[in-house]
Amino acid sequence: MAQFSLYQEEFHPSPWQKTWREFRSSHIASLGLMILLFFLVFSLFAPIIAPYDPLQQNVNALFIPPSWNVNGTISHLFGTDALGRDLFSRIVYGCRVTLGSSILLVLVAMVVGVTIGTIAGMLEGVRSSVINHLLDALMAIPTLLIAIIIVAVLGTGLVNSMWAITLALTPQFVHHTRSFVRTEMKKEYVLASKLDGANHLQLFFYSILPNMIEMLVVQGTIALSIAVIDISALGFLNLGARPPVPELGAMLADGMDVAYVAPWTVALPGLTIFLIVLAINVVGDGLRSALRKRLTQ
Amino acid sequence: MINALSRYTILFTLTLLVLALLSFSLIYMFPGDPLINLTGLVPQNDIQREALIKQFKLDQPYPIQFYHYLQQLFSGNWGYSFISGESLRDEIGIAMPATFELSTYAMVIAVIIGVPVGCYAGLRSYTASDYAINTASIFSYSFPVFWLALIFILFFSLDAGMVPLSGRISLLFEVPNKTGFILIDILLAEDINHSLALKDAIKHLILPTITIGLISTAAMIRITRRSVIDVVNSPYITAARSRGLSKRQIFMRHILRNALLPILPLMAIQVTTLITNAMIVETLFSWPGIGNWLINAINQRDYPALRIGMLAVSTMVITLTILIDFFNRLIDPSREKFERGTI
Repeated sequence: MAQFSLYQEEFHPSPWQKTWREFRSSHIASLGLMILLFFLVFSLFAPIIAPYDPLQQNVNALFIPPSWNVNGTISHLFGTDALGRDLFSRIVYGCRVTLGSSILLVLVAMVVGVTIGTIAGMLEGVRSSVINHLLDALMAIPTLLIAIIIVAVLGTGLVNSMWAITLALTPQFVHHTRSFVRTEMKKEYVLASKLDGANHLQLFFYSILPNMIEMLVVQGTIALSIAVIDISALGFLNLGARPPVPELGAMLADGMDVAYVAPWTVALPGLTIFLIVLAINVVGDGLRSALRKRLTQ
Repeated sequence: MINALSRYTILFTLTLLVLALLSFSLIYMFPGDPLINLTGLVPQNDIQREALIKQFKLDQPYPIQFYHYLQQLFSGNWGYSFISGESLRDEIGIAMPATFELSTYAMVIAVIIGVPVGCYAGLRSYTASDYAINTASIFSYSFPVFWLALIFILFFSLDAGMVPLSGRISLLFEVPNKTGFILIDILLAEDINHSLALKDAIKHLILPTITIGLISTAAMIRITRRSVIDVVNSPYITAARSRGLSKRQIFMRHILRNALLPILPLMAIQVTTLITNAMIVETLFSWPGIGNWLINAINQRDYPALRIGMLAVSTMVITLTILIDFFNRLIDPSREKFERGTI
């Protein structure tokens, strides 16, 4: 059904501005964004915010409970762990390691995935189908398994676990990019650019990519929440960051031995992971519904 | 139909071949001696070593080695664990069904609770109850599974003491391993008190199942809700309403069937998440499944076990995924190639 959608005002908001308006009108999504920004500030300015060095051990301050406890002191806001390290500083640095490396690896996976996906989408026939099906199969292999194999070949470490997760996240970007490029290639505006003599590269950068960014942002938030959970899970299983590194999952595993004496060493890092993932999911949900509302207007 | 079947068969075979090739290349990629990585046998002297190399054709060119490797895989000679010295095939035969059992129960919970609740939320979209369900699902969807398991252990096992901490069944019951599924094994076992054993096994099962099931249920609710909302807004529902059908009729005949279609391919993605979660949770509950087994293998650098474990798990996941995709194609031929839906 053809419908006229007249816009009464002089000023025409760009698609991005429209999405942003829709996004802001949802209070929950805005709150999620604020929490996410809060954690981003944590990870960006960790050395300024953290009151102590996250690795500094203090024999005189073992197992100090968090400050809201009767026995806690305000000098250690979240208390200390089994080695007397300040938990608040460790969590602030943990946000940096966990969230920062997740963002980094999602960006890498996105760039690689979009490149392969675009090539697969512009190709036709057998080659495209082979890439597609093989990646589909790869997508089904659990991250944990890829991580175990990579750890066995290269050894443990934060960077190796990042490679594993990147490898596991790339196929979904390829998949979405490929189907997106496929449908866009059939549209008239791409045909118009083609008639103007644009080559494949120009077609991609000037016609398709601007339309694809929203899809990429939404996919990016989904991938980011998976990445945060996976990277902390690998840290927790001792397959990722090694213990002295303040990674949230590894901290949780550290605290597990003393969970009965000092439950806060397990509760607080876990809560941080949960809040980060929750904020990312809420923002992703808000973005998706904002986009949906804009497109159905 | 036949076309689709052959396509999926070719896809399946090719994927398995690629996986086999990958696991073969791991022999050389893992640190250490390729012979030990392949067989798990440690030769005592040079003569024995030569003999083993001859026997496993490691002196031949790579393609012949790979062919021989495939033959060995099919005939069931998967090598021996480097640490325990047991046949890997037997070990996987015990570990794999345990994981499968856990994941199946979690999936059943997810479908039984997730689909009706998702439908309910979708039908009453953008009302208070929908918001409540949506909030609850996004909360439980965001839980890191290992933390959730720890909290459950802390509250239900250590504090309340309602359920046991680890394992599959109390050691008092001697249950022979026949199918690998503990509940079925108990029913098959003789001379034990069946009802007591079942009760005990369910007590062991309940915490890990709920941990994994909660996250899968949340995902299921979100998927179903989205799908129902999409269907409700489509023109044919308006048409059905204008023909005067009752709400119940519209829901049973038009909404439910169409809404369930896009859920299947998303379930294929969920399978991967589910099995990953199961593997993580196993390590916390000492559940003797494949995840626990693999983590032990990597901690002890048991390379032959890792090679076969990787092949076994990925084969299981890919078989499930391709089966679901194929089934989806069968019931919905309008779907030319499999497209993934959105949540």
